[in-house]
Amino acid sequence: MKTYPAETLRDLFAGKLPWNAAKEIMSSYKDGDRFFKQLEILQERADWGGKILLPVGEHLCIVQKDGAGDADSRRVVRCDCGFEFGNYRQNWKLAANVRVRNTAASVAEVYPTSCGCDPEWMELREFVCPGCAALLEVEAAPPGWPVVFDFLPDLEGFYRGWLGVPLPD
Amino acid sequence: MTDAPVTLREKLRGNDRLLAETGHYAGIRDLRLREKDALKYETLHTKLRALCVAGREMARRISASPGVREVGESVVALYTPEGDAVALSNGIMVHVHTASRFIKWMIENGYEDDPGINPGDIFANNDAFIGTVQAPDVIDVVPIFYEGELIGWAGAVCHELECGGITPGGDVALAQERYGEGLFVCAEKVGLNDALRRDYLIRCERNLRMPIYWILDEKAKVAACQDVRESVLALIEETGAEYYRRAIREFIEEGRRAQLARMRQLTVPGRYRGNTFYGHVTRGKPGLQPLGPPDLLYGMPMELTVKGDGKMLLDFEGTQGWGWHSMNCTPAGMDGGMFVTLTQHMNYEGLVNDGAWLATELILPRGTWTNPDNEKCATATSWALLLPAYGCFQRLLSRAFFARGFREEVFVGQVNSPMIEMGGESQYGGRFGMAHFECAAAGSGAMAIRDGLDTAYVGWNPESDMGNMEIWEQSMPMLYLGRAITPDSGGGGKYRGGCGFTSTWLVHNTRELTLITSEHSARVFDNAGMCGGYPAPTVQWHTAVRGADIGGRAKKGLPLPHSLGTDPLRTLPETLLAGGTVEKCEGPFITAPFKDGDVFCHSYNGGGGYGDPLEREPQAAAKDVENGYATEEFCRAVCGIVLKKESRARAAREADEKKTKELRGEMREVRRKKARPVKEWVREERERLLRGDVAPEVRRMINESIRFSAKFADEFRGFWNLPDDFVFAGDGDDNNSGERPGQ
Repeated sequence: MKTYPAETLRDLFAGKLPWNAAKEIMSSYKDGDRFFKQLEILQERADWGGKILLPVGEHLCIVQKDGAGDADSRRVVRCDCGFEFGNYRQNWKLAANVRVRNTAASVAEVYPTSCGCDPEWMELREFVCPGCAALLEVEAAPPGWPVVFDFLPDLEGFYRGWLGVPLPD
Repeated sequence: MTDAPVTLREKLRGNDRLLAETGHYAGIRDLRLREKDALKYETLHTKLRALCVAGREMARRISASPGVREVGESVVALYTPEGDAVALSNGIMVHVHTASRFIKWMIENGYEDDPGINPGDIFANNDAFIGTVQAPDVIDVVPIFYEGELIGWAGAVCHELECGGITPGGDVALAQERYGEGLFVCAEKVGLNDALRRDYLIRCERNLRMPIYWILDEKAKVAACQDVRESVLALIEETGAEYYRRAIREFIEEGRRAQLARMRQLTVPGRYRGNTFYGHVTRGKPGLQPLGPPDLLYGMPMELTVKGDGKMLLDFEGTQGWGWHSMNCTPAGMDGGMFVTLTQHMNYEGLVNDGAWLATELILPRGTWTNPDNEKCATATSWALLLPAYGCFQRLLSRAFFARGFREEVFVGQVNSPMIEMGGESQYGGRFGMAHFECAAAGSGAMAIRDGLDTAYVGWNPESDMGNMEIWEQSMPMLYLGRAITPDSGGGGKYRGGCGFTSTWLVHNTRELTLITSEHSARVFDNAGMCGGYPAPTVQWHTAVRGADIGGRAKKGLPLPHSLGTDPLRTLPETLLAGGTVEKCEGPFITAPFKDGDVFCHSYNGGGGYGDPLEREPQAAAKDVENGYATEEFCRAVCGIVLKKESRARAAREADEKKTKELRGEMREVRRKKARPVKEWVREERERLLRGDVAPEVRRMINESIRFSAKFADEFRGFWNLPDDFVFAGDGDDNNSGERPGQ
């Protein structure tokens, strides 16, 4: 089975692996232990308690919080900085902060030399982590279009069904 | 397998039944040929694939079209008797599955009896409701008979550069009904005894602006099909017919299983959602019939469900109806978009065939633009909505790759790629018409580990090549003043989107040149970012200068425009050619013909960005500025990167790490100050919606989604906490006098 040293994957995730090496990984058969190695790499840089179950976006992971009680209710979306967005079954964006660019001037700030959108037809919604001010997602949507819930994983099916291990509780 | 049915239609229906009953293609539960002798089995597959590739390469050399010869707008494939793809060449693989639909359509419609399917017959189709994406995608298929038994089909597709529609080219942006799209060949027997019928060729000659492209492409495709047929028959002589019949079905079943296995290997089961949008602005443009609203906003909510067995369902519920415009798409086109995306994004090794398609399911609500319930509507620019949709599909899949840890596969997606088409008096004095295919090399979306590809990728042609300028100049009465990377055309991000490019042309040696563009969204971004990256800018504006006096300026040694420059409010041609008449156009460019001495500029999209721009490596931005991919202004405003002052001594630029850190600190503070809790914003927006205080096009779009989908209506009203019966009053649909979609 193909496998890569953790160091290689750390560099790959950080965008520091030379392109020819990254390309080689893209073109090769996939490494079967990638998921768990990824979790180890993410876990080692987390300075808060809890076990990472699944990354869902840059800086964002579903984490199993330590503690007693129902395991599912302790599965929360958390930013690298430790900010908690609530249970993973709810859209984390609703617990984020948002800057909405819905004027020509505010759109032009981020499109200073090119064509932006017409704010009558589309606005930019910048979802920002209340903890560290990281820009986590940018939605480009017409005014009135509901906020998107990007990803609701089937955690149980994934762990038990696909990975063949119980979902940590 | 069961007893051999008698007719093709029975075979086709039997196969469908077996798939439904057993879950396996053609009821094949075991891959016994593979298990018995894997080498023999794999060798046959490799040879079948190789002969498709060889057929295509040969055909390219028969074609006269620069689209086919230079850019590779063709594909060749081999099918089962029932029309399922077994093996395919490289090229525009989107059509491998559309040709499958075409063959099945003929079988279902009794072609075996009338007009008959016989050795030496040639069938052609470019009707999207039968099986293709748009009218320029002309498919030819020939049956393969072995000892009197129809044992398969060879198929070939070329994208035609001219279709004889109401405007030159094939992506006829002005078409609002199918009757304006040009020459249709509707699953027609166009050849007998291995030769194209003379009366068919005469029809082509008399109905097309540039028949040499279509007719030589026809000959190229027929040659490719016949080449494939003869090679397959020779292979059957080697392997035996029984082995061949079983093996081709095992290939497809194996392809189906491989797709499911790949999903389980690379993704995470669950529900993925995304949106993309497209703005269509044609109000007041010449030639437009008042059949529907001239300005439209399309919203495409998409939901991908990855099930426990690895099967994926892609659902378009919540999108809007078809309309009297050319952007509608048939299920065949939607299938094709899915197929070509999968072949590049997941299913790129081993057995690439219709098996992958069988492991997926598309949900295309009837009456929407994805599945029109009126076959009179036009589909000439279906890519306008199809491309953003499948770019969004790539982002949905990429979220799954990200979660699984395969970050090297995360890709912000293919982009919409505008098309320019033209016709009129050629530089040689005769009439001509042509689609310019340099659009086959836009910028790509970023990846999770690097910037997107610059001027090097489109989703619909995996070989992505813009073609040489000199070749295009031979085919049109325009000369290149420049073909330049467009700075800042990639969306901002930790990794920026790939840049697009802009061509600046001098109209030359003609008294009449009509230029028309399509497939570029106006007013809204159609190429989004991901994980904090920004969408790519739009390319909605066109700049033309009539009477530009390029010759006069050249004689005086004055500067000429070679690009648009980096001021969105005043382009270089406007500044430098101030003596001419400047024409700016938003959305599809449709206006009066040009003549010798005029200048026209056309831009192609870049891709969306990935990740927080404040995390971009400062030195990467310095290199971008140095090489013309980005401006200093963009790097500072979007990424918070400050460069050291330009040195006269050396061209290399360098980031100022200290000032960058300071600026980024300030920008994060601005974020903290200007961003507020989402729930607070939602409460305020609710009031705005209750007041109906949004543009009429937005009102119309949302009302139509509500009309088409109870699920969308519930979610929309629920999200904003609106009354159960909420719809916008007065959706601005005052100009839609004709039949409305979905009624």
